[in-house]
Amino acid sequence: MLPQLIVSGLAQGVLYALVALSMTMVYRATTVVNFGHGDLVMGGAFAVYIFVVYRGLPYVWGGLLALVTLFALGVLIYRGLVRRAMTGPHLAVAMMALAIGYALRGVARVFWGREVLPFPRIFPDRAWLIGNVVITGDNLVISGTVLGLMAVLFALFHLTRTGKLIQAVFQSQRGAALVGLNVGAFHAVMWGAGAALGALGGVLLAPITHLYPDMGVWVLLRGFAAMTLGGFGSFHGAVLGGLILGVMELVLGAYVSTAFIDISAYLVVLVVLLCRPDGLFGRQAVVRV
Amino acid sequence: MSEAGEAVGPVAAEAAAAARRPRRRAPGRSVFWLLPVLALPVPLLLNPYVQFVVNLILVYVLVGVGFNIVIGNLGQLAFANVAFFGLGAYASGILTVHAGWPWWTTVLPAGIVGALAGVLASLPALRRIRLFYLAILTMAFGELMRWIYIRAEPLTHGSMGLAVPPPVLLGVRLGTDRQKFYVFLALAVVVVVLTASLLRSRFGRAFMAIRDNEIAAAAMGIPTGRYFVLAFAWGGFVVGIGGAMYTALIGHVTPEAFNLLELILHFAIVMVGGLASLAGSVIGAIVLTTTPELFRDFPGFQELVLATLIILVLLFLPRGLVSLLAAWWPVFGERYYRE
Repeated sequence: MLPQLIVSGLAQGVLYALVALSMTMVYRATTVVNFGHGDLVMGGAFAVYIFVVYRGLPYVWGGLLALVTLFALGVLIYRGLVRRAMTGPHLAVAMMALAIGYALRGVARVFWGREVLPFPRIFPDRAWLIGNVVITGDNLVISGTVLGLMAVLFALFHLTRTGKLIQAVFQSQRGAALVGLNVGAFHAVMWGAGAALGALGGVLLAPITHLYPDMGVWVLLRGFAAMTLGGFGSFHGAVLGGLILGVMELVLGAYVSTAFIDISAYLVVLVVLLCRPDGLFGRQAVVRV
Repeated sequence: MSEAGEAVGPVAAEAAAAARRPRRRAPGRSVFWLLPVLALPVPLLLNPYVQFVVNLILVYVLVGVGFNIVIGNLGQLAFANVAFFGLGAYASGILTVHAGWPWWTTVLPAGIVGALAGVLASLPALRRIRLFYLAILTMAFGELMRWIYIRAEPLTHGSMGLAVPPPVLLGVRLGTDRQKFYVFLALAVVVVVLTASLLRSRFGRAFMAIRDNEIAAAAMGIPTGRYFVLAFAWGGFVVGIGGAMYTALIGHVTPEAFNLLELILHFAIVMVGGLASLAGSVIGAIVLTTTPELFRDFPGFQELVLATLIILVLLFLPRGLVSLLAAWWPVFGERYYRE
């Protein structure tokens, strides 16, 4: 029983990890916590739906186009709206992020109303039995894609010149600007990348779930929980936090009560912030008062 | 600062002279009393549906006023307001349905439940959790409460919602929205006046000192922790009373009424109306309650119009709609806010 729960939990957790990673990217680059990020995940799912179901593209191409679209949307959101709100108080930035997410939800609802859209099955409809653990095709495709992408991202980040530049801006924006990096463009690109990564969550989620305009809310708080658990602002913390959260939901759900599946994310946030605000790998979370 | 008097430049001297000069025809705060008086004959002019919306505005006035204390005056990113609202609404509903109390006796308990939730929500802030950490924590708190409404089925009747009989005031059944309007108006006026005097007192000034610079406030001898608890508790109290009014107005309390969408609405009332401005909360409640009603029949446009409104205000009127009024009428200006 337990090994199965862990495998299924990890398969769920990679999605949380992906969303948490994309939010961390935006947060580290611009210190903005995007309260509308869940709706970018929703946007990714609806974009791939448009490309695959309406335009008849193959799933892979539809997914890539969806990522490109959401990248552009992320850059646009940052350049047009968020950057201007950032001169105001934190509250204005938070409100702006929420309003943008709300607007995206509105756009989805104008076109699809309150109906729930089914997506054609695309991932291999097979399951493998290893020991007594069942691994489905969905699990393999989603985990494989996310883990592969994360490996590429971490390699990019730590090994290449671009990655070094990114780390430089993370460390000191003013310093990076002084040595000639275009910090403004960097912020916009990171917002785009964050939006595209989040959208990938939606693209991968679309074939295994139903699409509806409010689907982003579900994933937003889980992303936050994963970030909090791993330590706010830490990349590997976000990934690990997502995986732990995925496993925890199922283990608590099976051994304690199914009711815990819905609230483990909130409990994680409460317990971690009250007991160990830095999370597993975080930098300082407590503000000096 | 008065000992620096001899060092004033020409600009400061001019400002001081302007302050001494009696302002002509500038109405004082007493002008705000006109508002509820003018509202008295309003129900005679309205059809039942519009009356319902007007009552809803009064509910959201309290929601906005309470929320504004925490995020506007105390300046904290604490998003537990929906929890205060829901707990107040459920407290009133449960006392009416299960304990058989008449509605009017549940108003104060609902406020107290809201205040207790406020105290609870202020505890993480005492542990120095601030900014986004506090925002996420309080959001999780709100969602956890919603889960409890669903699960505490014997009390709340779960996701079906709790049907509450029409409110009763001193033995009189408030069957129509017009009757409710006068009760709500009286409640809203009392609570807003109390809040206004709280904010003008040393307590309110302490809130704003904490918002502007917490370390400096503590160094001046303000016990910041106590004021955190007080601000959250009073905010929760005001919103809890709003919750009791909501129960009386809708007559059916469901967990879904207190989800994250509701948070966006509460937050928008404060931000669109004007941070740290009581008049702003009233304006925000009026605008943000009526706008979605206008677009009720067009799915999606409700969200789009609301979001566009919020974004436009954030971009072009960072001090909220109230700053438009303040430009003509200084009494609307927030005297305790500086960028």
